[in-house]
Amino acid sequence: MTEKPKEKFVVPIGPQHPALKEPGSFLFTVDGETVTDAAVRLGFVHRGIEKTCEKRNYTQDLYLLERICGICSHVHATAFVLGVEKLAGVQAPPRAEAIRVLAAELERIHSHFLWLGVAAHEAGFDTLFMYAWRDREVVMDLLEVLSGSRVHYSINVIGGVKFDVDKELSDSIMKQMDFLEERSKYYMKIVTTDDTFIGRTRGIGTLSKDRAEILGAVGPTVRASGVKRDIRVNSPYSGYKDYHVNMITDETGDLEARFIVRIKELYESYRIIRLVLEKIPSGDLTTRVKRKIPEGEVISRVEAPRGELFYYIKSNGTEMPDRVKVRTPSLCNWGTITDVAVGHKLADMPMLLAGIDPCFSCNDRMVQVHSTSKPTQLMNWDDLRNYGIEYYK
Amino acid sequence: METNTLLESGKSLIEKWIDASNMPEDNRLDIWVSRKNFKPVIQEIVNNRWGYLITITGLDIAPVIDSENNETQSGQLEALYHFTNDSAIITVRVKVPYSDTKLESICDLIPSATIYEREIIELLGFELINTPNTDRLVLPDSWPEGIYPLRKSFTSLQVPEILAKEQTND
Amino acid sequence: MTIGSENFITQVTDKIKNWARINSPWAIHFNSGSCNGCDIEILATLTPRYDVERFGIKLQGSPRHADVLIATGPVTFQALDRLVRTYEQMPEPKFVIAVGSCALSGGVFDGCYSVVGDLNKVVPVDVYIPGCPPRPEAIIYGVVQLLESLKTGKKAGPIVVPDIVPDLVIEEEKNGN
Repeated sequence: MTEKPKEKFVVPIGPQHPALKEPGSFLFTVDGETVTDAAVRLGFVHRGIEKTCEKRNYTQDLYLLERICGICSHVHATAFVLGVEKLAGVQAPPRAEAIRVLAAELERIHSHFLWLGVAAHEAGFDTLFMYAWRDREVVMDLLEVLSGSRVHYSINVIGGVKFDVDKELSDSIMKQMDFLEERSKYYMKIVTTDDTFIGRTRGIGTLSKDRAEILGAVGPTVRASGVKRDIRVNSPYSGYKDYHVNMITDETGDLEARFIVRIKELYESYRIIRLVLEKIPSGDLTTRVKRKIPEGEVISRVEAPRGELFYYIKSNGTEMPDRVKVRTPSLCNWGTITDVAVGHKLADMPMLLAGIDPCFSCNDRMVQVHSTSKPTQLMNWDDLRNYGIEYYK
Repeated sequence: METNTLLESGKSLIEKWIDASNMPEDNRLDIWVSRKNFKPVIQEIVNNRWGYLITITGLDIAPVIDSENNETQSGQLEALYHFTNDSAIITVRVKVPYSDTKLESICDLIPSATIYEREIIELLGFELINTPNTDRLVLPDSWPEGIYPLRKSFTSLQVPEILAKEQTND
Repeated sequence: MTIGSENFITQVTDKIKNWARINSPWAIHFNSGSCNGCDIEILATLTPRYDVERFGIKLQGSPRHADVLIATGPVTFQALDRLVRTYEQMPEPKFVIAVGSCALSGGVFDGCYSVVGDLNKVVPVDVYIPGCPPRPEAIIYGVVQLLESLKTGKKAGPIVVPDIVPDLVIEEEKNGN
């Protein structure tokens, strides 16, 4: 019997696709139905921010760096501000640090709800998408009352925070935490008991603990494989030194575990927010910092909703930094896709990608699929998504 | 494990190759190694599974020009390899001159490093030997060779020219 | 309009096209390098609280079926190519809505080496919606402004949504709706 010749079937997808809202192009190599290789390409969102940081002063850079990503803008600002404060040799007052933690956890909640909606949309579960985003509006409202803005809250200043929490806001937040906790329990139930969901997540995309460690990936993606990496626990910063966080892990390492870890992190966030509001220290919101930052180099790491966010700042004694280097969590998590995708069906790709919760603007990526069997075919993201949904019907 | 213990354990692995070291913060150790010893150092860290690679930072150290327009110090590039184990961070630093920016790739030891290597190749002009992929990562394919945006010498005055070339290539 | 002339037929079909378009424009969303802030606010307009679909606006994936291009982001060099190609794939008549300060002028990224800035330099823009990011209400207002201008049949140059967005209900009452 003659062997069937291997042709190439390239499925480039994107760079614009409605579901992920972010520009990316995907290129997977498939042999029949099975993925044999996956490659990553970034670039659509490259704006030249690191270079521009060198031409602006630290305060201007704060507003610029915040806009690296609309979903995790507060953690970018926090990482930068913590680094600069270290270089300047100042410590923000305790009340400011507590408010930073409050905002960071609120951001984590909004990010995880956003992700839940998007992942549900990938699975064809649009109702869950609508529910999750409707519940998310609650958090957006709280953030708006705190800072005046739904996205890009700009709560940080070098030396502290700009906005305070009064009794009324504190009570609102507490009430809404109860509401959101109820909703999260409902989502946990769906994710662990709904047949369609389980069919698309249980046993799929399993990443072993060993591989996860070696690949250097971070965030809920690896915590779902049992790797204990969480900057808030390993290397506490800002208010986390006072408000302790429990590490949430799962041992299974498959897609379902990633869902479970993120929802459990929601519960943890509710707990931390309640703790912060009960025990918030009184005092100033800012401390004075000179405009010229002394020479030095600092590394600042914070836990963004997607994992470890790394900032390296080099100052030269002037009002402008010499170098700012940012490494966002989604960047290193892409390696897990190329590793895990091989051996899976093409129909699993949308859920796998949603599972690592990619943030394109933090990284800007392209994934490409090469098939060894058919000639290059163009599939846009919607088609691939529908393909996945149909496959599992 | 305690931060100091972690740092000590990491340092002891690569002690013999260290040219200079510094502790800029309590949980950080910076070490400078020569180009020749750089790969064995990384090998040792990886073999002993001391933490994971966070990222590779590239720095441009611009040439120093005195008032008579003479170059008193030639330009250099510096590559910083940040490794972290729990709360401890060890940074392996290598300097190379503009005239010879060759450095060995570490992708055979750490495959996921290819993303970081591609970034410093195209943005700073490092030449990493045996790196598996030199496709453009963040810059467009039509970006001209030899222009490294993160070098101090690059200014945005050059940008309209590059953009014009972009549009004629469409 | 004289009945029977070719001009008449075109005018009638144009009116039908416009009517169909006004009542249910199909929009395609393109991110040309945005931080996603604007994109998530655009997506928020689809969710139950703002529910833009009641205006008949449908967000879908292919440029070939779209009437309106909703673009965000400061147009990075990489996205430039694909933005133009997406625009060219759209059938006439087509409209462009620029969402966010980045699409207006580059926003906070103005001066960055990898960014074009003003979307109008690349594709002709019909409505600008400033903000960083603009609220979902402002985005809906901007889209409704486009629909209104289609109704009256004239495109009075690019429309810029004001900073303070008037209450939609009051506007509609004023216009006699």
